[in-house]
Amino acid sequence: MEKVLTRRVGQPNSRSIETYVADGGYAGLRKVLASMTPDQVTEEVKKANVRGRGGAGFSAGVKWGFLPKDTKGKPIYLLCNADESEPGTFKDRLLMENDPHQLLEGMAIASYAIRCRTAYIYIRGEFYDGARILEKAVAEAYAKGFLGEKILGSDFSLDITVHRGAGAYICGEETGLIESIEGKRGQPRIKPPFPAVSGAFACPTIVNNVETLCCVKQVIDRGADWFMKLGRNEKNAGPKLYCISGQVQRPGVYEAAMGLPLKDLIFGADYAQGMKGGRKVKAVIPGGASAPMLTAAEIEDCPLDFDGVAAKGSMLGSAAIIVIDEDTCIVNVAQNLSKFFSHESCGQCTPCREGTPWLYKVLTRIEQGEGRMEDIDLLARICNQMANGMTICVFADAAIAPPLSSVTKFRQEYEYHVTHKRCMVGARAQLVTA
Amino acid sequence: MSSTPTAPPPPSPPKDTFTVVFDGKPVEVPKTLNLIDAAKLAGIDIPHFCYHPRLSVVGQCRMCLVEIEGMPKIQAACTTPLKDGLSVKTTTDKVKNSRAATMEFLLINHPLDCPICDQAGECTLQDNSFGYGNQLSRFDESKRQYPTFDRAMIGPHVVADMTRCIQCTRCIRFAKEVSGTSELTFLDRGGRTLVWTHDGQPLANDWSACAADVCPVGALTTQEFRFRSRVWYLNKTKSVCPGCNVGCNVSIESKDDVVYRFLPRLNPEVNDYWLCDHGRFLSESLNARDVHKATLREGSEVKDVIVPLAVEKISREIKATAGKTGPSGLFFLGSAHLSNEENFLLRKIADHLGCANRDAVVDTSRPRKIKSRTEWVEGDGAAPNFRGARDMGLTPGKGGYGLEAVLSGKASPEVIVVSDAAFAALADDPQKVAALRRARFIAVAARTSNALTRAADAVLPAAALSENEGTFTNVQGRVQRFERAFLPKPPVRAHWELLLLLATALGWGDRNWTPSDILGEIAKEVEGYGHIRAGELEGGSLLKKGDFAWAGHP
Repeated sequence: MEKVLTRRVGQPNSRSIETYVADGGYAGLRKVLASMTPDQVTEEVKKANVRGRGGAGFSAGVKWGFLPKDTKGKPIYLLCNADESEPGTFKDRLLMENDPHQLLEGMAIASYAIRCRTAYIYIRGEFYDGARILEKAVAEAYAKGFLGEKILGSDFSLDITVHRGAGAYICGEETGLIESIEGKRGQPRIKPPFPAVSGAFACPTIVNNVETLCCVKQVIDRGADWFMKLGRNEKNAGPKLYCISGQVQRPGVYEAAMGLPLKDLIFGADYAQGMKGGRKVKAVIPGGASAPMLTAAEIEDCPLDFDGVAAKGSMLGSAAIIVIDEDTCIVNVAQNLSKFFSHESCGQCTPCREGTPWLYKVLTRIEQGEGRMEDIDLLARICNQMANGMTICVFADAAIAPPLSSVTKFRQEYEYHVTHKRCMVGARAQLVTA
Repeated sequence: MSSTPTAPPPPSPPKDTFTVVFDGKPVEVPKTLNLIDAAKLAGIDIPHFCYHPRLSVVGQCRMCLVEIEGMPKIQAACTTPLKDGLSVKTTTDKVKNSRAATMEFLLINHPLDCPICDQAGECTLQDNSFGYGNQLSRFDESKRQYPTFDRAMIGPHVVADMTRCIQCTRCIRFAKEVSGTSELTFLDRGGRTLVWTHDGQPLANDWSACAADVCPVGALTTQEFRFRSRVWYLNKTKSVCPGCNVGCNVSIESKDDVVYRFLPRLNPEVNDYWLCDHGRFLSESLNARDVHKATLREGSEVKDVIVPLAVEKISREIKATAGKTGPSGLFFLGSAHLSNEENFLLRKIADHLGCANRDAVVDTSRPRKIKSRTEWVEGDGAAPNFRGARDMGLTPGKGGYGLEAVLSGKASPEVIVVSDAAFAALADDPQKVAALRRARFIAVAARTSNALTRAADAVLPAAALSENEGTFTNVQGRVQRFERAFLPKPPVRAHWELLLLLATALGWGDRNWTPSDILGEIAKEVEGYGHIRAGELEGGSLLKKGDFAWAGHP
């Protein structure tokens, strides 16, 4: 597939507004301001069924449609979610650092569609370079009249502010992000009310991911029909960035049409080019740390799109594919990811605050050879009483994915650990002795 | 179609209730209630920790989980908006398992050292664990510790112990939303989350101990009450705070005739769920006493006598002076610390003698305020009942004089009757007392000695608030009853008993009257006291520390 979102990545000076405009940039914004009403833009995006690239896969156009028709004088905010905190995900960073104006144009178009006057980019605190690049791009866009008062001579005005987070995974959750941008502790809110009704500063708010907003720009440039033809079916369409990491030959971000077979991504010559050292795949986490693992058998015919991965009992999430080879201890993987989740829980809901460190402690014990057989079932039971409505947000549902899926699918490795007090595979299989 | 115009049906008045189905049983509940309170109204307890009727709803503890028809996942009751036809299930296996799960999570890092925890007996965690938890824990790891955050004073009154905290944030929300001082916050996150003060600034607002009240566990306790008594030994008595004229409803908690603490009583019209630190920590001062017996001065000697003898002596002195100089030689001083009944008796004694020389004064204090359900109620007096003393007529009558005239020497009574030796700070001021001492005879009733009792000719031993009953009239004009926690130790008697002895000795009143009878007399004579609103006397309902179920006040 021809590169779309990453077309300009790697070109000289791709960050500058000059090269962006020379490559046809801001034509989409010019087009909507000159010839489309906000509702027509929303309709086009709705028609293209641009599903949210941040993880949930919810249609952006439908989300915009949830905004109240009459806001009773309140402004509408657009927040660009550039927190990209899901482990294994690094696609938004690529877009922001290499082609920031694509995002700004996407935000301007989206803001026009939802009648937003003030928009924010909430960027992950660790993305220092990204924030600097975006701030420069925003300044350039103001200077050229693509942002600010009466953009391109129209009645549409827009201000964009780059806001840096302080380093919390949970601020990637949209209501956690809203709390954070209000200057509060990053804790997800109770829903309803949903952000479209009452979000940032108690005003109607739309939160969209970086890649989603870039897709909006592409839909306006090339049309909904073009967008829908990319992919397995109309519900899973458009260009998509896949982040692949783990023990593969060529980890990185690859752009392909939605629905790329998972095996192609791992083994394809255009993509990751297979496993390091010719080892076998043991497991694949298809959608970032919060997605349940798939076994080698399950990846055989798995199209990488929202419904395709869901059919396998996992989720596409942020399309962060983490490949785990046969020499990696699965208990160690689960322990590592549990450490992350126990560190990142915001701490407001009891099951998550208490459950995530408990999972980590039990997994650590098993990993260190001090586990008991009943710990394996205990892990599954702890997981099952943390999720499905037990908490305000879905963090707990994410946190249980690694231990629960690994216990279910790789139970023999856990049992081996308990019986032999060491890993079944990998370098540490020999090192740790009873 | 008929062309006859028909009148539109009269608009039915908007219903202010919803029909909510609890476990199959439809119940009419007010629209404004939270689901937890609505369930309570239907007789169903939904266990909870973080929900408090006066604090914002955060849905964090995940204890109040219920099943809602039409929702696939389990829901937190506190965050579920009420609506007509809502069907709630609280007894299904899913609900029971979810509650047990939350209890297990709450307890894995909790010390479980109830035998040495001061909250035991009034601990919501303990209660809910018995009610909804599993008996055994599957947690076999080391428990979380907060080495520098346990047993530490975070303010002048409150002791924090983070190992016991369940992170419900009630205290944080109290300091933010009620006191408006925002001293408390969450620090860190995840399993290391703890509640502490911002930058080590003390929790030092005027209502800081309410943070310990709302704490459902032993994480926040007060330095003053901590480890003084097991709470199940304490009797609760409905009373009114003596600290100022706001008249916060309190319960006196006592054991073996000793007051251990005040807790607020829920009265949405006055103090709601709250109580200020000033008033709360007056509780133990009620135990102070160094006037144990009646005394009479004879020359330079002070002799212990029995109370009737002392009363007889006072009565004789009053009669002698009245006979000699007429009522102008008598002066009666009431007190803003005494009840309406007592001040009324004093007034009636003066009336009986035809004496217009009567007064009551009050010390002003710095303004005290408390947040009622709807507004801040502000008080300015250092005593609970100045308004009542005035209502009972303790102001100079026609042709009479008041305390100011006595102190300045403009008036020179021969006999001064002071119904409460601690009526104001000036009673302990030697110069002012010397001015009073110009009288030939001074009679006082007292609990603790001061310059006035040392100068007096007759001292009667009087009861404390906890040993007394009666009514106070607060700054809002609300007449509120306080009840007796325990009897005074003889020969100590309540002020009204002493006054009634004196009145009958002087030939007025009924020896068998009780405070209720006297209130009946007040109702007949005093304007505004004839029709006390229903429930006003009764005041608020008793609360248990940390337990804030709906108590009939939405």
